[in-house]
Amino acid sequence: MNRREFIKISLTVSVSAVFDGCRPSIRWEREAYRKQAISRVAILEARSYQASLRDIISRGIRLCELDVTGKRILLKPNLVEFDPAGVINTHPAVIEATIDSFRSLGAREVVVAEGPGHRRDIEYLLTASGIYDVINEHRVRFVDLNADDVRLTKLRSSFTNLRQLYLPETLFNADLLVSMPKLKTHHWAGVTLSLKNMFGVVPGSVYGWPKNALHWAGIHGSILDINSSLPIPQFAIVDGIVGMEGNGPIQGQAKQSGVLILGEDLVAVDATAARLMKIEPRKIEYLEQADRFLGNITYEKVEQVGERLDRFQQDYRVIENFHALKVLTG
Amino acid sequence: MIEAAINLLLSAQNEDGGWGFVKGKLSNTESTAFALMALKSLDAKPFDRQMAAGLKWLVRHQRDDGSWSLNDEASKQSSWTTPIAVLALLSFQDQNQRISRAVKWILAQEGMKPRWFESLLFRLSLTRKTVELDPYLNGWSWTPGAFSWVEPTSYCLMALKKSRPLVAGGTDVEVRIQQGEALLYDRMCEKGGWNYGNSKVLGEALWPYPDVTAVALIALQDRAANEANRRSLLALQGMMREAPSGITLGWGILCLKLYSEDEQKWKRMLLENFKKTRFLSETKALALAVLALGEGASLFRV
Repeated sequence: MNRREFIKISLTVSVSAVFDGCRPSIRWEREAYRKQAISRVAILEARSYQASLRDIISRGIRLCELDVTGKRILLKPNLVEFDPAGVINTHPAVIEATIDSFRSLGAREVVVAEGPGHRRDIEYLLTASGIYDVINEHRVRFVDLNADDVRLTKLRSSFTNLRQLYLPETLFNADLLVSMPKLKTHHWAGVTLSLKNMFGVVPGSVYGWPKNALHWAGIHGSILDINSSLPIPQFAIVDGIVGMEGNGPIQGQAKQSGVLILGEDLVAVDATAARLMKIEPRKIEYLEQADRFLGNITYEKVEQVGERLDRFQQDYRVIENFHALKVLTG
Repeated sequence: MIEAAINLLLSAQNEDGGWGFVKGKLSNTESTAFALMALKSLDAKPFDRQMAAGLKWLVRHQRDDGSWSLNDEASKQSSWTTPIAVLALLSFQDQNQRISRAVKWILAQEGMKPRWFESLLFRLSLTRKTVELDPYLNGWSWTPGAFSWVEPTSYCLMALKKSRPLVAGGTDVEVRIQQGEALLYDRMCEKGGWNYGNSKVLGEALWPYPDVTAVALIALQDRAANEANRRSLLALQGMMREAPSGITLGWGILCLKLYSEDEQKWKRMLLENFKKTRFLSETKALALAVLALGEGASLFRV
């Protein structure tokens, strides 16, 4: 898996430039196309996890004009691993505030769901991360997406040769899927944000730990194929209060950024989050491809509301292989 | 606690005789196999009916090629559930033919290896190696045709080692056991123990996981005197303190018993933790707890 990723990364750097201008053929079905003319992204200051996050998130949801009345909302945080000294996962305070916000805005039900990609022991991850206390206190249902019933789903794009994937049944029974990633760099993909976070919906019980089939199929293509084929609408809330730079998504260093990023267009949200880290979104292979059909990454096509992006921009370090992504540095 | 765990297990049995990951979910091979082993370890008459129904589910779901899939929805062969089904069948009478077919299937599975072009690129690469493992070692993957990882390799080793006396073709079995063991030792973390199967990424050591460490150590129990096993056993006990979940403590206690280590304090910890979370009512965690608190270790002794 990892060796293959290494090779793919090496090949991408050298080969992608050659083919950049060749306009590859359309690799998605008509139903997968969901690009809007302009995408709205809310950038909101949240200095710490002790801030009134519920008010901030509610404001962001309103700024994005998201109607959740009567809907079953599936929150998908990033809970891949646990390190007491690290900042790997979406902070429980952000999850708690999001539960509160959606409930206060009239959601019928809020469910928290995740299928960790490295560890099978969901009881440990939930209790150690503090999420268990949140879901218990707020009487929220939690679904281990690695252990859910599954449904074979035809993929709506073909950036990999997977063609179909098993997806958890819970996904089909919700009205809105909210991707809640941590703002992080990633040693295989460059960045891991709301689109990459969707790896967690792919059931480990079918594909294993790590989710091997996706890595062999190609990390960028898998991100695109999963996101193009999700059966319900999505929204993103990126936990950038404390992000991770360097050797993410597990062993990087904490970086205080004091920001939450929200939006309905996950591609635009991720492009904005990448810019916040001073990473050029067009240099991230999956974002560049996603811009063709899933959403917007062009700066002028992203309407930023809330705070100004440059207030929060910081130079997030990346590993050596990805120095080329840092064209926004300085 | 053991009564409460047993009751939770029994109440989760589906009408078709199998068990799902949690109550109400579709029956699957892993959950059914662990639940069956747990009930079998109790060796009590009152559960005969439930065991018979569970065994019937397991037997009915063996595919013609000898393997098991995860469940009726994910119906392709599964390299990791098949050895677990074998472990369950080994605790019942008159299953030798089914076990032999499954072992034959397991022996035919090999993890994916780098193809010539990937090998060439990697060997020519002047950059720092991304991972430090030998990708040519032959273990078992989660799904047929994928890369080999620690957990499925461990389950297959347990199944092969335990079914040795029952199956013909001993040479093949011994060769694959040696290969699987070599893979496990290659993937061991620096300070002992195992995670899913990467000890280092980009020069940085990754940490082990307690449940995977226990599973790998159980698979390597007949190499107990090895320094690597001893180091990993110490690492396991450290991790059990830090991550006292049902899965970790269940596997951990079974492992310590098989290595003749004292497990009493861990049993107390298991009981305490059950009160807090009831192990999220996960079938496997409940079954492991029953196995760990009772005489379940014998089902994993090779």
